[in-house]
Amino acid sequence: MDIVESAVHDESRQRAQEEALEAMVDQYATTLFRVAFSVLRNQSDAEDAVQEAFLRVLRHRETLGEIRDHRVWLIRIVWNIVLDRKRRTKTRPETDDLAELARVLPASGLTAEERAAAVQHHTHVMACVEKLPAREREVMMLSAFEELSSVEIAAVLDVTESSVRSRLFRARNLLAELLQHPRSIR
Amino acid sequence: MSFSSQNDLGRSTGAIEAEETLRLVASLPAPRGIEDRVKAGVRAADRQARVMSWPLPSEKARWTQVSGIRAAAAAAIVFVVAGGGWGVYSHIRVASVPTAVAAPQRGELGAGGGGAGMSAAAARRTPKTLDGPVVAPEASTKQRTAEGKTNLPPHGHRAGSAAEKSRASVAAQR
Repeated sequence: MDIVESAVHDESRQRAQEEALEAMVDQYATTLFRVAFSVLRNQSDAEDAVQEAFLRVLRHRETLGEIRDHRVWLIRIVWNIVLDRKRRTKTRPETDDLAELARVLPASGLTAEERAAAVQHHTHVMACVEKLPAREREVMMLSAFEELSSVEIAAVLDVTESSVRSRLFRARNLLAELLQHPRSIR
Repeated sequence: MSFSSQNDLGRSTGAIEAEETLRLVASLPAPRGIEDRVKAGVRAADRQARVMSWPLPSEKARWTQVSGIRAAAAAAIVFVVAGGGWGVYSHIRVASVPTAVAAPQRGELGAGGGGAGMSAAAARRTPKTLDGPVVAPEASTKQRTAEGKTNLPPHGHRAGSAAEKSRASVAAQR
């Protein structure tokens, strides 16, 4: 009798966990995809990273109740995954990423010439961002997400908020320098 | 406007433009149906994980009941492994250990070889020559004295021809 009760209890608990996980997918999958894409700049790779992030969540579903901010926690998971992937797939030529980026950038209401110029500009900016030191680059990329405050960026990167601010300041200066004189750093 | 302020303005404009690009990349829409694909992947992984973790669907509920079964299974595995090992061991016939070990003789290395017995680096090998003709067994001393005179070969001449041998034997018979 006791066994039957515990089995029923387990089943209902599992169902509740599954539902919670599916709700998290519905709520955060697109945000996580955008975070992943900003680093990987490849749609299928970014989707794989999101999938992997939720599989990690599945493995730790017992501790889901202890997490205070699911959104930041998930972004941190996917951030670590994409950085790890980026490190491993360093062999892929940078031009592939930029071509993919040019393909997905919105270009509505632009003439063909304007569109080509915009793509060239964005490509140049992204190439300059790639030249930034890793710490500054990471803060710069995460700060582009409007839904992330500096406190949340600090939580994702596991640093203090003041550190985030100083890195962001340095990143902006370096980026401006790079855009003016592309060979000024390194 | 001074040059430095113009430069600062240019820099800040560049940085703002760069941040706009980053914001554009960050706000790109996710592909359609990503949620469904992720959910399907998670469900498939969950099903697989459950099969892998069978028969322990939960960690707390039946731990005490299952621990006994686990202990019994572990004991059975140990018994089977140990029994198999003993079966193999008992069927192996251990070869008798030789009481002496054959070692090469030092003399075989030649006169100069071996030195203190540690190395054969300076060994000179003496070739084995063919054996000379076998000397026929000589007649006994008694018989030889009785005969008085013998046809002994000159000193140093080891070999005797077949004719000499036969002669000597005839003389001995007489």
